[in-house]
Amino acid sequence: MKKRVGVFVCDCGTNIASVVDTGKVAEYASTLPGVVYATTYKYMCSDPGQELVRNSIQEHQLEQLVIASCSPRMHEKTFRKAAEAGGLNGYMFEMVNIREQNSWVHPDREEATRKAQDLVRMGVSKVLRNKPLQVATVPIRKKAMVIGGGIAGMQAALDIAEAGHQVVLVEREATIGGKMTQLDKTFPTMDCAA
Amino acid sequence: MVAVAQHPNIELRTLAEVVKVSGYIGNFDVTIKQKAKYVDWDLCTGCGTCWEKCPSKKIRNEYDLGIGLRTAIHKVFPQAVPGKPYIDAANCTKLTKGKCGICEKVCPTQAIRFDDKDELITEEVGAIVMATGYDLFHWEETYGEYGYGKYPDVVSSLYFERLVSAGGPTGGKIVRPSDGKEPRSVAFIKCVGSRDDTKGKSYCSRACCMYTAKHAYQVKDKIADSEAYVFYMDVRTAGKNYEEFYQRSLNSGARYIRGRVSKIYPRGDRLVLKSEDTLLGMPIEVEADMVVLATAMVPSEGAAELAKTIGFSTDKDGFFQEAHPKLQPVETFSAGVYLAGACQGPKDIPDTVAQASAAAVKVCGLFSKTELATEPMIVEIDSDKCSGCGFCVPICPYNALSLADLSYRGHHGTATREIAEVNPSLCQGCGACIPACRTLALSLKGYSNEQLVAEVDALCL
Amino acid sequence: MSIDNNSWNPKIIVFACNWCTYAAADLAGLNHLQYPADVRIIRTPCSGRMDPMLVLRAFNRGADGVLLSG
Ligand SMILES: Cc1cc2nc3c(=O)[nH]c(=O)nc-3n(C[C@H](O)[C@H](O)[C@H](O)COP(=O)(O)OP(=O)(O)OC[C@H]3O[C@@H](n4cnc5c(N)ncnc54)[C@H](O)[C@@H]3O)c2cc1C
Ligand code: SF4
Ligand code: SF4
Ligand code: SF4
Repeated sequence: MKKRVGVFVCDCGTNIASVVDTGKVAEYASTLPGVVYATTYKYMCSDPGQELVRNSIQEHQLEQLVIASCSPRMHEKTFRKAAEAGGLNGYMFEMVNIREQNSWVHPDREEATRKAQDLVRMGVSKVLRNKPLQVATVPIRKKAMVIGGGIAGMQAALDIAEAGHQVVLVEREATIGGKMTQLDKTFPTMDCAA
Repeated sequence: MVAVAQHPNIELRTLAEVVKVSGYIGNFDVTIKQKAKYVDWDLCTGCGTCWEKCPSKKIRNEYDLGIGLRTAIHKVFPQAVPGKPYIDAANCTKLTKGKCGICEKVCPTQAIRFDDKDELITEEVGAIVMATGYDLFHWEETYGEYGYGKYPDVVSSLYFERLVSAGGPTGGKIVRPSDGKEPRSVAFIKCVGSRDDTKGKSYCSRACCMYTAKHAYQVKDKIADSEAYVFYMDVRTAGKNYEEFYQRSLNSGARYIRGRVSKIYPRGDRLVLKSEDTLLGMPIEVEADMVVLATAMVPSEGAAELAKTIGFSTDKDGFFQEAHPKLQPVETFSAGVYLAGACQGPKDIPDTVAQASAAAVKVCGLFSKTELATEPMIVEIDSDKCSGCGFCVPICPYNALSLADLSYRGHHGTATREIAEVNPSLCQGCGACIPACRTLALSLKGYSNEQLVAEVDALCL
Repeated sequence: MSIDNNSWNPKIIVFACNWCTYAAADLAGLNHLQYPADVRIIRTPCSGRMDPMLVLRAFNRGADGVLLSG
């Protein structure tokens, strides 16, 4: 695998850029071994941001991506898709958290910028060792089990069955209906329960 | 109910319990214990000859909370679905002492099976909806001031429902348990076991304000010149048309008194309730013929064990834990397992139905795909390095690892040896097995030693 | 060496489980809580992935402190 890393540093509007000097981070990134392209962008997750990723992959023949932005718990999937749309394996990508775990918790510009640089270095170092991974699939058995045959279980079972799927309804007592069958009329309409 | 039984896509299993669940989203294997019914429901027509003739007649009817009696072979209630009887083995003299067998003789379709046994059945399903509902708080154990259940005319709201129900044991006539007379004055106490940190539960049971308003109205409506007193802490009517419903109850003449009842004691054949009227700021005493307690909803018996069997968690009160209180209210932490109704927390019927439909949609959404992508960041095994020691096998919390035979070409032809094997569907990629392997045969894709070491080194530069 | 000596910037490496500690660190961010910027977090899929080797490696490379949390 060729080492051609692209680094994208997100401003997140001002969420990141107001504390972290993103330009400086990108500049630093471009000096790291393996990095052939580094840039900043206002909103990486936006449509134009993702387009930037796709186009840069083509333009600079990127083989690995590092995106420094919000938490991977937010947008890892988004960027994995963008990488794939650009023709890369989605796992040749690492996300670096410079918002939740940096700009939002450290007020000092200098310290936060230094930390962002460290984190980008970590991401680049890791991504150079990433391998393409394949997503496997497992079949889905289209049959549901509903446990408990009160009004909740009956309603769920009927809805699923009406949608055309098989349902097994398991009830502990000898009859379904649950507590509702023991009630007389029910609020708010006062219609009969059973 | 009948719609459920008749739906061609629904297979109904009553007197059945889930005992084991294995597998994962899209592919669960569920073992069900089908309890013995002692009646072949394929033959039984539900004619009723058996329970009319059954001589074991003096059994407490649990469904009616003991208001009536039932026989050993019985239907839970007349409109039960399926509409077939079963034998309550503990109370059948044939099954306990070998004597009787009358139902077998009278049954016109020869449906009785005294040799019926519990059996285990396995179902293969792709999704599970939990709908195990609730039980009611056992107030008798903690509320000494209400008589620990010793006063017969202090009953629960569910008991009151059976009394007032047209299809119930009294045909809908409100009578009190001690002497069978119609009460002239009925007192209701709300929040018994709810919103009570010391004796009960901290939460609000959500349906009691409304059903107590219903009950008070029913007393005023059904009994001429009656009094209905409602002791309350708050009246919570947050629901469409709920406030109007409560107003209707007030307009019917129900008397709402704000205060917690501190003591109930008998005076003659009546009951005295002592409380404070916190709006008037003075003590108050009310005499009533009958007292109805709106007891808290608690998780149904066995719910916690069932959650454990399936592999998701319960909350601090034992209700099933949703994956997120706002954003994932019908999911659990176990993918493919969804929640519906009061098993997730106290709720009334409209909310129960809404949640049940939401859970159904989640299931249908899952079923709209034919296959499910699996996370590729799982463990891989280098067969050259694996010594087959098996240390990793018991470490995996998801039982994804096992030892399997590997054939290889050795110096003297083909030979086999055991090496570790991973089930890619079960492996969750936690990595717990990695440090256990002394030969470094295991690697976690996406989080390999090489990758993590590179991260450490880069940070420590 | 004194901790409140301002000129000293310790290197603290945190191994954080993706499902709890890493999420909690995100939550700390969401609430704009503050902590020293010397902390560097490495995300692990689960604390089960932790290998003593990684801790030793960090110390070996000059880390002043390692926090495992999961
Ligand atoms: C006195 C009283 C009056 C009420 N009046 C009203 C009213 O007027 N209007 C209104 O909207 N709501 C009313 N409610 C609330 C209403 O009863 C609930 O909202 C509703 O019954 C919840 O339905 P469910 O299906 O979740 O639970 P349930 O009705 O409890 O049904 C659960 C079912 O699951 C079964 N089960 C439990 N555990 C297992 C297991 N391990 N395996 C298999 N099966 C199992 C049970 O046997 C039962 O059949 C009232 C409640 C009370 C106590
Ligand atoms: S007599 Fe036989 S057919 Fe009739 S209800 Fe009883 S078991 Fe069923
Ligand atoms: S993978 Fe490692 S720990 Fe597991 S059996 Fe093979 S050698 Fe032993
Ligand atoms: S990574 Fe975790 S789930 Fe997968 S095999 Fe190892 S211990 Fe089991």
